[in-house]
Amino acid sequence: MDPMAAIRDTFFQECEEQLGALETGLLTMEGGDCDPETVNGVFRAVHSVKGGAGAFGLDALVRFAHVFETALDDVRAGRLAPDGRVLGVMLRAADALADLVRVSRDGGATDAERDRLLVEDLKALSGSPQPQAPQPDAVASGSADGGDMDGFAFQPLRFELDAPPAPAEQNWTVRFRPEAGLYAKANEAAVLLRELGRLGSALVTLDASALPSFPDLHPEGAYLSWTIDLATAQPESAIREVFEFVEGDCELDIAPAAGQPPGDTGGIGDIDLAALIQQSQATMAAAPVAPGVGAPRAAEPAPDTGIPNPGRASRPADAATAPASKATIRVDLDRVDGLIDLVGELVINQAMLAQRVSEAGLPRSSNVALGLGDLEQLTREIQDSVMAIRAQPVKSVFQRMPRLVREVSAMTGKPVRLLTEGEGTEVDKTVIEHLADPLTHMIRNAIDHGLERPEDRAAAGKPADGTVRLAARHRSGRIVIEVSDDGGGINRARVRASAVAKGLIAPDAVLSDEETDNLIFLPGFSTAETVSDISGRGVGMDVVKRSIQALGGRIAIASRPGQGSTFTMSLPLTLAVLDGMVVSAGGQTLVTPLTAIIETLQPRTGDVHSLGSGATVIAIRGTFIPLVDVGVALGYRAEPLDPARGITLLIENEGCARAALLVDAIQGQRQVVIKSLEANYRRVPGVAAATILGDGRVALILDVDAIVAASRSAAGQAPEFTPAAGFAHV
Amino acid sequence: MPTASSLKVLIVDDQHSMRLLIRGGLQQLGFKDFEEASDGEDGLRKLVASPAHLVISDFNMPKLDGLGLLRAIRMHPPTSKMAYIMLTGQADKELVQRAVQFGVNNYLVKPFTVATLKQKIEAVFGPLT
Repeated sequence: MDPMAAIRDTFFQECEEQLGALETGLLTMEGGDCDPETVNGVFRAVHSVKGGAGAFGLDALVRFAHVFETALDDVRAGRLAPDGRVLGVMLRAADALADLVRVSRDGGATDAERDRLLVEDLKALSGSPQPQAPQPDAVASGSADGGDMDGFAFQPLRFELDAPPAPAEQNWTVRFRPEAGLYAKANEAAVLLRELGRLGSALVTLDASALPSFPDLHPEGAYLSWTIDLATAQPESAIREVFEFVEGDCELDIAPAAGQPPGDTGGIGDIDLAALIQQSQATMAAAPVAPGVGAPRAAEPAPDTGIPNPGRASRPADAATAPASKATIRVDLDRVDGLIDLVGELVINQAMLAQRVSEAGLPRSSNVALGLGDLEQLTREIQDSVMAIRAQPVKSVFQRMPRLVREVSAMTGKPVRLLTEGEGTEVDKTVIEHLADPLTHMIRNAIDHGLERPEDRAAAGKPADGTVRLAARHRSGRIVIEVSDDGGGINRARVRASAVAKGLIAPDAVLSDEETDNLIFLPGFSTAETVSDISGRGVGMDVVKRSIQALGGRIAIASRPGQGSTFTMSLPLTLAVLDGMVVSAGGQTLVTPLTAIIETLQPRTGDVHSLGSGATVIAIRGTFIPLVDVGVALGYRAEPLDPARGITLLIENEGCARAALLVDAIQGQRQVVIKSLEANYRRVPGVAAATILGDGRVALILDVDAIVAASRSAAGQAPEFTPAAGFAHV
Repeated sequence: MPTASSLKVLIVDDQHSMRLLIRGGLQQLGFKDFEEASDGEDGLRKLVASPAHLVISDFNMPKLDGLGLLRAIRMHPPTSKMAYIMLTGQADKELVQRAVQFGVNNYLVKPFTVATLKQKIEAVFGPLT
């Protein structure tokens, strides 16, 4: 990749982060928290996007960001109060900025009219005349508005190249405890401390712990002591000289700072660093620029830092214990994937080795077996660590939802409050990428179908604002994501009527509440009287369910009339390994994803019935379910297995449809490393991927849905076996 | 007349892409010795641990901004004489004024060309050879 394109990619990645920070910050402000750091963070996000966009010549982005930035600057400077109206415009501007970034990266066009109106709105907000956006050419040539600043008296360089900065400076720790006599002789501790500050940069810490409560306080007593961290090029004698006249009236201890041998001119420690930053910030606040930009004030050397102040006494310690910022590196995803692949190989290799050793009949106590145990432990830890590299907080997808909620709320006219929990919960990046679509759809649904209209809510005694909650947490090695609303719950009568009308269930079918709720996952199901603009995009909950299942996940629904619904998704933390049931069929070893299996059973001969069309069904507790012979379906044998001699896996596929897979035997349950068949060979119908077993054999991982679908179409689907056959009690 | 390759530069910007751009520009000018920091605090820590001849720092950064970094550098005697060029998002007179007050050696407005970068560095160090 050419270096410029790589930097551009980095820029767009950063933009995503900035846009996320922008939205989070604006929402925080909307929540009433407008502290300067939040406002500044918001400003910085837009500013950074603009700065980078300028460097890459993305003029449209620069222009929009500039107007946005100007309005934000007004908020920052206190010229514009961030009320609900202002933040509303800014949130919409943030959405438009996100669109502009996307268009700049991927091409296409944004809604120019909307952008133009937003620019008008933003300009109207600030009301102040707009400073001109920087003109790249003018600035680059050093003329125009950039040029007139060359008149400033820039600091001349007083630094010699041959002698890189290495001044002979030393850090001292001075402990100073005045006695009552010091004050009695009209000496003043503050004067001495200020004097000390003239020698170099001093950090003064007050110890007021000896200060008694007021009734015990003697007016002429001495209770305070100070510790001064002094960095100075002056000798010790100069420090002693400051205390010359009070030496008999105080405890004085002057020593080179801990950890620094005398005469060492090396770097300073963390405490000094924190102090330095604190000092620099303190003097910054003390040196505001006059609005009229008058003559530059002479920079004073930290005038106030030498004055003790009980309120500040504890701060250096705080700063010293504050953790240093975490270092991070950016790594190409391919490298991480390569590593994960290698670790996968390692796991397989380790399993093979273990199997060989056990086959060789070595005793468990042998050194080889013990060493192998350690290797297994290490392999597992490496695998976990590598998976953790790919893990990301769900925040990246959660933070897209507030915008969606705003849009859907505006379209439906239902005021909505979005609550998110567990944004820091981590899961594999691939899982996160595939979560966005289902979550988007579920949130749309929750607002459009779940929440009642404001007037209905008022009638039901609920607050006018509906609440949609999005929560993530870890539970037993999986991630659980919940989307819940406090709306009316699923209208079971309507769901049932709709399912009957669409021929999905028999009119006289007996369904439990749970089964009725689950009808909404059937393909083509929709209860909305009118197909609305929001949910009715031809995508139903069946698609949501299918995409969750494609990730090896499950989805469940819990609904209470009048109180709302909760959709719970449970997903694997990674897509690199899979919990599988190892089975054999037609002499081949195959792996069935465990998530698809509901139960396993041994059919009796009388339970299996052949249909005229060539299809076979099995009666399980009074329900007829299509039976698929896996060996035949994958072409391992021509003649079907006698069901009585095999094992049946009852599986649930997309849209709640159930089917039974007939296999020869079950070998066991184990975690397998997923290897893409497409990447290494080609796509094979009925096979999702492959894995390598402990004995070194390749085993195919079944694509359960595809096998069932294929065998159905091959057999010619019998009309009575609709996808909802699982519910049709016969 | 210093040679570009003899000067060590610390690049401070919270945006990785911007650091890459500055670094790329400096490399074109013959600079070889770089260090990078992602905010003022990080920059200060790195400067204190290992001094540089030139600091090129963004203004608007989290934790410690460019002015704070400049101020801290000037207050700490071992670093007080380092050359400091500040990057700004726009030609903000007031900001440059404050930076001058705190002892900045020059400024650079984003976006900039390699020629401008060269011009600003030479304004500080004299012609690069």
